[in-house]
Amino acid sequence: MNEYLRTTYDKFELRVRQGFYYTKDDLWVSVENGKARVGVSDYLQKTSGDVAFIEVAKPGSAVEKGKDLGTIESAKTTVPLPSPLSGTLEEANSKLTGNPELVNSDPYGEGWLVTLTPSNLEDDRISLLSADDYFKLMLEKLQSEHGKLESK
Amino acid sequence: MKMDTTNQKKVIIIPCSGIGKAFGSISRDATFEVTENLRKDNTQTLCLALLVSGDEDSKRLVRDNKCITVDGCPLQCAEKNVKLAGGNLTGSLRVVDTYKENRHLKPRSITFLDPDGQQMALKLAEKIAEKVDGLLEDQ
Amino acid sequence: MGEVQEKKVGIISCSGEDCVEGTISRVATRQALGKLRPNETVTICLPLFLAGGREEREFARDYPTITVDGCDKMCAKVATERYSGKPASSIVVTDVLKNLHCPKLSSRRKLNNETLAVAEKVAEKIAEEVDEVLRHWV
Repeated sequence: MNEYLRTTYDKFELRVRQGFYYTKDDLWVSVENGKARVGVSDYLQKTSGDVAFIEVAKPGSAVEKGKDLGTIESAKTTVPLPSPLSGTLEEANSKLTGNPELVNSDPYGEGWLVTLTPSNLEDDRISLLSADDYFKLMLEKLQSEHGKLESK
Repeated sequence: MKMDTTNQKKVIIIPCSGIGKAFGSISRDATFEVTENLRKDNTQTLCLALLVSGDEDSKRLVRDNKCITVDGCPLQCAEKNVKLAGGNLTGSLRVVDTYKENRHLKPRSITFLDPDGQQMALKLAEKIAEKVDGLLEDQ
Repeated sequence: MGEVQEKKVGIISCSGEDCVEGTISRVATRQALGKLRPNETVTICLPLFLAGGREEREFARDYPTITVDGCDKMCAKVATERYSGKPASSIVVTDVLKNLHCPKLSSRRKLNNETLAVAEKVAEKIAEEVDEVLRHWV
């Protein structure tokens, strides 16, 4: 299996990492040993511009599915990040403090945002999208939001 | 390319001038503010693309003088290209870092800078000028 | 694999800091991209292209390009030919100026009305070339 599903829009290659879950708000979730890691998709980082500020809830905070986990901010826009799961926020990625650009350069790897301990994983997972379904959603967004990837 | 004939050492300021982002336009405008106003006697700029194309005058200029690159974003194309050309790179600045220090400024326009973009360019120009002063003191 | 790609033309412009024609090239390209042919064109960032930007170089290799240069050194054209392939069309601002009636150009930083008018003419020329390239697209 290829690691990514890919498409090209204008000159940009947009990737969706296989094996992750996704939300309609363009966040990804990967679950391992009962812990969830959360980040933003390639599509979201590309449409947001150069990320300069990241704010997330404090470690130890309770987070609720659909409520804001935090925000990412660029000169172009501020993007709220609705949490994909309910649970407790364990860790915020400390590398992003000095290098928020990791969100742009490696959104599925070193640019992860937080880890959570889910409180209701089985129920919350039902509403998450598979990589294939998120890929289709991303294509729909690209077709309907023509020209969004670059300021003109 | 206009060559300086006075034999006075200058600091060469090289912007990325990236055309796809406001930060690219700001890098360009900040460079002009320094070379035409703030430190016009001690600095000059040159075309990055001309340098990369192999122009001998440009290559000599960046090797014989101290250079500061001004990049819009973390991709740092000006810095990469000047290093590849063997330039004497003594400083590199990024517009995105000036944005981080001035979060309230939201430059949106690319073709012609809006007021926030103009302000950011001026703030960045001051930083470049400080860097120039430091380099000239070392000479 | 899903594709949303349509026929597009890449525009690669110099931004030459050394002369006002570089600024004209930049402004004209942005006008063509943003106003005149926004759905048919894609920006290729020249410094990123020169630094090895994969997406820029691959697009310029796989799609037709138009280079826009300020002067006859033609840095954008030279770079495109070197790293991706011959552009479908090349525009040089100083050549466009030869056909205009000696406009009084401004400084490279702040464009006066005459210089803006020149930029608009160059933008129209870019748009015409885009149309021509798309007409001949096989």
